[in-house]
Amino acid sequence: MGAKFRTLEREQRFQNPPTDQSVYPLLRDAVSPHIGSFNALTDGPDGGLLNLAVKDIGVKTIFDSGDENRLGNKLKIRVDAVQLARPAVAPNDKLSVSRRTFPSECRERMVTYRGKLMMKVAWTVNDGEEVSEVRDGGLVPIMLQSNRCHLEKMSPKELVDLREESDELGGYFIVNGIEKLVRMLIVQRRNHPMALIRPSFGNRGNLYTKFGVQIRCVRPDQTSQTNVLHYLSNGDVTFRFSYRKSEYLVPVVMILKALVETNDRAIFDGIIGSDTSSSFLTDRLELLLRNYKAYNLNSKNETLAYLGDKFRVAFGATIDVSDIDVGKEVLNRIVLVHLPDNADKFRMLLFMIRKLYTLVAGDCAPDNPDATQHQEVLLGGFLYGMIIKEKIEEYLQNIKTQINSDVSRGVTVNFNDRRYMSKVFQKVNENIGQKLQYFLSTGNLVSQSGLDLQQVSGYTVVAEKINFHRFISHFRMVHRGSFFTEMKTTTVRKLLPESWGFLCPVHTPDGSPCGLLNHLAHKCQIAVKASDVSGVPAALAQLGVSPVDTFAAGPKMCCVQLDGKIIGWTTHEQGKLVADALRLWKIEGKHNLPRDLEVGYVPPSSKGQYPGLFLFGGHARMMRPTKYLPLDKEDILGPFEQVYMNIAVTPAEIVKGVHTHVEYSPTNILSILANLTPFSDFNQSPRNMYQCQMGKQTMGTPGVGLKHRSDNKLYRLQTGQTPIVKANLYDDYGMDNFPNGTNAVVAVISYTGYDMDDAMIINKSADERGFGYGTVYKVEKVDLGQSRKRGDPITQHFGLGDDEWPAEWKEKLDDDGLPLIGVKVEEGDPICAFYDETSGRTKVKTYHSSEPAYIEEVKLLGDEAADQECQQLTIKFRVSRTPLIGDKFSSRHGQKGVCSRKWPTIDMPFSESGIQPDVIINPHAFPSRMTIGMFVESLAGKAGSLHGLSYDATPWSFSESDTPADFFGEQLRAAGYNYHGNEPMYSGATGEELRVDIYIGVVYYQRLRHMVNDKFQVRSTGPVNSLTMQPVKGRKRNGGIRVGEMERDALIGHGTSYLLQDRLLNSSDYAQTPICRSCGSLLNTQKSVPRIGSLASIRCRGCSEKLEVITKKGVYVNEADIWEDGHGVKFVGGDDTTTVAIPFVLKYLNSELAAMGIKMRYNVEPK
Amino acid sequence: MDIDADLGPRVTIRQTEQDHVDFILRGVDLSVANSIRRIMLAEVPTLAIDLVEIDTNTSVLADELLLHRLGLIPLISEGIENLSYSRDCTCDQYCPNCSVKLELAARCDSDSTMNVYASDLAKFHNGLRLGDPVIRDAQQRGPLICKLRKHQELRLTCIAKKGIAKEHAKWLPCAAIGFEYDPWNKLKHTDYWYEVDADAEWPKLANCEWEEAPDPDANFDYTAVPSNYYVDLETVGNLPPNEVVVRGIETLQLKLAGIAVELNKDSVEANDAAAGALTTYGRSPARDGDSPNNGYAYGEGFGSSGW
Repeated sequence: MGAKFRTLEREQRFQNPPTDQSVYPLLRDAVSPHIGSFNALTDGPDGGLLNLAVKDIGVKTIFDSGDENRLGNKLKIRVDAVQLARPAVAPNDKLSVSRRTFPSECRERMVTYRGKLMMKVAWTVNDGEEVSEVRDGGLVPIMLQSNRCHLEKMSPKELVDLREESDELGGYFIVNGIEKLVRMLIVQRRNHPMALIRPSFGNRGNLYTKFGVQIRCVRPDQTSQTNVLHYLSNGDVTFRFSYRKSEYLVPVVMILKALVETNDRAIFDGIIGSDTSSSFLTDRLELLLRNYKAYNLNSKNETLAYLGDKFRVAFGATIDVSDIDVGKEVLNRIVLVHLPDNADKFRMLLFMIRKLYTLVAGDCAPDNPDATQHQEVLLGGFLYGMIIKEKIEEYLQNIKTQINSDVSRGVTVNFNDRRYMSKVFQKVNENIGQKLQYFLSTGNLVSQSGLDLQQVSGYTVVAEKINFHRFISHFRMVHRGSFFTEMKTTTVRKLLPESWGFLCPVHTPDGSPCGLLNHLAHKCQIAVKASDVSGVPAALAQLGVSPVDTFAAGPKMCCVQLDGKIIGWTTHEQGKLVADALRLWKIEGKHNLPRDLEVGYVPPSSKGQYPGLFLFGGHARMMRPTKYLPLDKEDILGPFEQVYMNIAVTPAEIVKGVHTHVEYSPTNILSILANLTPFSDFNQSPRNMYQCQMGKQTMGTPGVGLKHRSDNKLYRLQTGQTPIVKANLYDDYGMDNFPNGTNAVVAVISYTGYDMDDAMIINKSADERGFGYGTVYKVEKVDLGQSRKRGDPITQHFGLGDDEWPAEWKEKLDDDGLPLIGVKVEEGDPICAFYDETSGRTKVKTYHSSEPAYIEEVKLLGDEAADQECQQLTIKFRVSRTPLIGDKFSSRHGQKGVCSRKWPTIDMPFSESGIQPDVIINPHAFPSRMTIGMFVESLAGKAGSLHGLSYDATPWSFSESDTPADFFGEQLRAAGYNYHGNEPMYSGATGEELRVDIYIGVVYYQRLRHMVNDKFQVRSTGPVNSLTMQPVKGRKRNGGIRVGEMERDALIGHGTSYLLQDRLLNSSDYAQTPICRSCGSLLNTQKSVPRIGSLASIRCRGCSEKLEVITKKGVYVNEADIWEDGHGVKFVGGDDTTTVAIPFVLKYLNSELAAMGIKMRYNVEPK
Repeated sequence: MDIDADLGPRVTIRQTEQDHVDFILRGVDLSVANSIRRIMLAEVPTLAIDLVEIDTNTSVLADELLLHRLGLIPLISEGIENLSYSRDCTCDQYCPNCSVKLELAARCDSDSTMNVYASDLAKFHNGLRLGDPVIRDAQQRGPLICKLRKHQELRLTCIAKKGIAKEHAKWLPCAAIGFEYDPWNKLKHTDYWYEVDADAEWPKLANCEWEEAPDPDANFDYTAVPSNYYVDLETVGNLPPNEVVVRGIETLQLKLAGIAVELNKDSVEANDAAAGALTTYGRSPARDGDSPNNGYAYGEGFGSSGW
C-alpha cells in the first residue's frame, strides 16, 4: 500500500522544474518507438537510414541523344548523401536574432515545425570525374524531441522556458499548428518465411492452389519487398512479387538458376536432403524440375539474360545495359532483398520451397498471420524514411524525364555545362518537404511502388490533447491496417494468447475498430535499432551447428537462421540445447551476444509449426523484459520465442524444471491506461475496456502550457484532484500533473427516482462549490489575407477606420479593433474589426456560436518572413461549462451516467456524522455489470479519506486469502465505521432513518466531454427544404429530428393518430392547395386575374375552355362567367375548385410524375 | 423519559467549541428536529460576496473562477440581522443597509510568487465585525484566493450581500450537521445489515452511552417514537454555533408564522367570500353565514398559542 499523495513534492517541482532530467523516465520510454525510429533516419551506422536509402536507389543513367542509333553522352546521376537540418527561421527573415524555430511558436502561429532537407546530388559525364552540388529538398516536418529537434535532451527547466510542458514527450509532428503523429502499424514479421493457406491464392490463375509461403524481406534502409511462393496443383512452384504495384509470376527454378550456377541435382538435394523416401516430395520435385525444361535455360547467364529481357521495360533499363545485368538487377531488387549474397538467397529459397511442400503434404501447420508471433511493427520514422526514399527516387526520375524531354524538344543539352544542369534542377520539382507535409496532414500515401504496404490512407492521426490519457495513448497504439477494417470475418480482431505481454488485452475500443486498434502493453518496447548479431555465427559454430553447405534439408533437421539467413543445420535435440545455451550466454553477456536477441526455437512436432531455430536481432521487433530464473537477470523476450517458453506470471506459480522465466509484474501485460483503472481485477472485463475509452474522453487537464497552445477546442477541468485510490503506476507516469477528475462522496442508493437508468444525482451545493466545473477553450483564426492573391497589395487592415461605424462595437472592441480581454461575447457580437480600403468601410467579424464566451487571449500572427503587416490573428474564447443536467460523468469502472438533477443539499440523505453525498447513483447499476472494483475503490477511498492516506489500487495486489474487503474493512473499523462500508443514513426530507443502511464511500469521478450544450437539438419553427418544404436535418442548421419509419410504426401501434398527423403533417410540410373537384387535378388550378366586378378566384385550367373557342361555336357566354389568366387569355368554366390540406411533397411528387407523363387524379370528398 | 416529554422541548449541550456545538434535543417530534436541521443548513442568513466589480485581473485565474473563490470565502456574519436583503432594500443596486463592501488590491512586484489571502480583503469600515473574512490560521492569513507572479495584479471591489444557502452554497453557515436518534436502534427504523456478526461489523455508537441499552427480552414497542436527537453542528466560522441554532429556530418560527398568517388570510377571505366576495379561486357561491370561522382576527392568534 505504498501510494502517496506527493502534493508538496509536485508543487515544488512545478515551481522549480528539474534542471537535469525528467522524473518520469517511463514517459520517455512510452514514446521511444516513435522518436527512436525517427532518429534512426539520420543517425546510425552508414549515416542513418536515409543515406542507406539513397545508396540503394543507385544511379540513374541518362543519354543526351535523340537519335535511336546513337547513344550520345552519358550522364550518371545519383544522390550521394542526404542531410536533415534543424528547424530554422526562413532565410529571408532579417529580423530574428535567434535563427532557431521552436515548436511552441509553430503551434501558436499554426505553421509547420520543419527543417531543411539537403541532398548532395552527384553526377558524372561519360564516366568522367564526379561533380556534385547540394540541392535544397524543401522543408521536411521534424518530429519533436528527435535528434533534429531543438528540444532534444533538454531538461524540464529548459523546456518550460521554451513554453513546452515540463515533460514534453515529443514523438509527433506539428503540421499547420496541428499535432500529428504517424500511427504504428502491424506488418508481417520480416525475413521469416510464413506458410499460408489462403483461398485467394487459388485465384491467381490456372493450376494455382491455396498454398503459399510468403516472406517479407526488409532492406537495410527498412524498405521492404514481399516474395511469395505459390504451389501449383501440378507440383510446380512459382515465385510471385509485385513491383510498382504490378504483379509478376516467375517459375521458382528460373530464379534459382539465375541466382547461382547450379544444376538440377543440387536443387533436388538442397530441397530434399536425405528424405528421399518421401515419394510425395520426390514426385513433385521431379515435376518441378521437368516443367522448367520447357524454357530450355541451363546456365546462370542464360537464365539471367532471359529474365533481363523480360523485365527490361518494367525496370526502365537503358540501352547500354546488357540483359544479364538487368537480370542481376531484378535479383538484387526483388528476390530476398534482405540477403546481399546470392548463395544465401539460393539456400533460403530452397528452404522456402521445402516449407511449402511440407505445408502441402500436411506435415506442418500454416502459420497464423494474425498472431503476434508473426508480426512486427512498422514504425512512424521508418515509414517516413521510406517515403523520403521514394520521393528522392522520383526526383531522380524527374530529372531524367526533364532531360529526355529537353532532348526530344531539341533544346541544347550539355551535361558538362553547370548552367544547363542547374536549369534542369530548377525545372524539376525539388520540394520533397511539401510532399511529406501532405502525407502528415492527410495521412494519404502517394506512391508509385505502394511501399509494399496494404493501404494508401489513414497513416497519420491527430494527437488530440483532450486530456493526458488520450494524448499518451496515441503513442502506444498500433493499428492492424485499414485493409482489415473492411473485412467481414472477425478472425483478425480476436485476442490471441500470443500477444500476451505485447498487446494489451483490455485497451481496445469497442465498435468498428475493436481488435484492430490495439495498444502496446506498457512494458513493451519496439526495437528501433538492429542489435549487433556479429557474434552469433561464431557462437553457433562453437555450439556445434554444422555449416550451411551441409547436406541437410527439411523439417527432420533443425535449420538455424539468423534474421532470415540460414546459418547452419543441426539436429533437433542439439537445437534445443543450442537455443538454451544461446539464451544463457546472451543474458550472461558472453560471446558478444546481444541481450535482446530473440532465440525462437520451434521444436519438432506432429503437424505443428515448421521447426527450426530462428534467431532475430533486427529492427521493429516487439520486445519486453522478463526475469530469467537461472541467472535471476533480465531477459528481453520477443513474441516469436515466447510461444515456446514457460514464463510464470507470479513467483508463486513457478514450477521447478518447467518455468525458465517469471514476469516482473503481472500488470506488465496491461497498457498504460488499463493499468490506471483501480482494482481492475475485480471488474467484469468489458467494463475495464469501457473505462479505457472513457478515460480518453474525460474533460481533464490537457496540459499546463495552455497559454501557448492554439488548439481548436480544449477541454479543461478546473477542479481536478489527485485520486485517493490510485495504482502506483499512476505516479510513475506523472498522471498527477494532469488531473482527470474529482474525488466524490458517492452513495449507492435509490433515493429520488431521478437516479434511474444510469442517471446520477449531484448535490446542488457540491455543484456550487465547483464539483466537475470545467471550461472549454475555443480558438478562432481570423485571416485577412485569405481572399487576397499572392503578390496583391494588402487592402484590409486590422483596426477601426475613420468612417462611421456603430458605437456599440466599442463595448466589445478596444481602440485597436481587437476584442477586450475578458469581455463576454454572445452570438452576433463583434470579435474584431478591420478596415477595408476598397470599400472604405470598417467591417467586423462576428461571434458565431449560440453559447456565450469570454475573450481569453488575442494573438497577432506574423508571416514567415516577418516583414509584412499583420494579417492574421487568433482569438481564444473561454466558454464556462458548469455541470448541467444532461452532462455525462463516469467513475473509473466503465460506469457512466448522466446528471439528472442537482438535488438540494437539505433533501439529500445524510449520515449520522452529517456527511451528505456529492453524487448519488442507483444500486441497479451494479448487479448486471459486476463492477466490484468500484465498490472496492469506494471502500478504499473512504478509508483513505478517513485516515488521510492514499491507497495503491494496482490490480492483482490482493489475493483470495488477503482480500481488499478485509484490508479496507479493518481500516474502516479503525476509524469507527462499519466494516463493510455501510452507514445508516437519514432521509433529508423527513429526518427519518432509512430502512436499510447505505453503501457510501469516496470514488474518483470523471466528467466526460459529452455535454448537453454541444448536443441538444430543439426546434419549433425553422428552416425548411425548399423542394419539399419539410424541415431540414442537422443540429447545426437548426433542423429537426426525423420521425422515421420505426417511430411512425410506434405511433401507429399506439393508435395516436392525432400525434401522428401532427408530426407527419402539421409540424412538417403542411400545405393548403387548390384542387379541381371535377378533374381531380392539383396542378391545373390557377388564380384568375381579378376583373371589374369579380374578385380573383381559383379556376381549373383543365376544366375551363377558352372563350374564343366557345364564341367560335356560337354559344353565348355570360360576362360574369368569363375569367382571365395572367396573359390576358379569357376562359370560361373550371370553377368547381376547392382548397385541401396536403403534405407539400405530394404536390412535388405530382409534378415529378407529370414530368414523366403520368397524371394523378384525386377524388375530392365530400362532393 | 416520559417525564421529560411532558416538560416540552429541552436541550442538553454536551460540548461547545468556537465553531462547534454538540447537543441533545429532547422532547420534540422528529419532524420538528429535522426542520431545525434543514433550516440551519439552508436558511440561516449569512453574508457572502455576491457581486464583484473587477478593475484589473491579470492573474492566471479567469474572472469567473476568481469570483467563485471569492464567493466561497466565509465572512463574519454576526449582526446580519441588521442587514436587509438586497432585493428588499429601497436602494437602487446596493447600499450600506443591504451590503458590505470589501476591496482587494494586490500587485506582485517581487520575483517570487505572491499569495493573496482573504486577509488582504479590505472592508469598508462599518464599525462592526460584520463582513470581515473569517481567519482562523496561526499566520492570520485566511483562505488563499490567488497566486500572483511578477507584474500580475488584482484590483477589485466585492459587494457582500445577505443570502441563504438554499440559493447558493456560499451562504452556508454549517459545514455539516450530525444528526442522530435512537443509537440502539430500538425503534427498528433501520436494519443493521451484517455478514456474519452485527456486533463485530458495526461500531458501537458514541451516543449509546446516553441511552439505556435495550432489554433483549423486552417486547418490541411499536408505539415508540423518536424523542432524543443528538445534533452535532459544525459551522464554517461565519456565525458562532449558538447563533446558528438560535437563528435557525427563529427562521423556522418566522416561516411558520408566515404560514399561519397566510392560513388566516384564507379564512378571512372565505368569510368575505361567504358574503359573495372574490376569492383567489374566483367568485365563491354565496352561502349562508355559517362558513368556517376559527374565530381569531387577522394577525392575532399565535402569540397566545404557546410560542
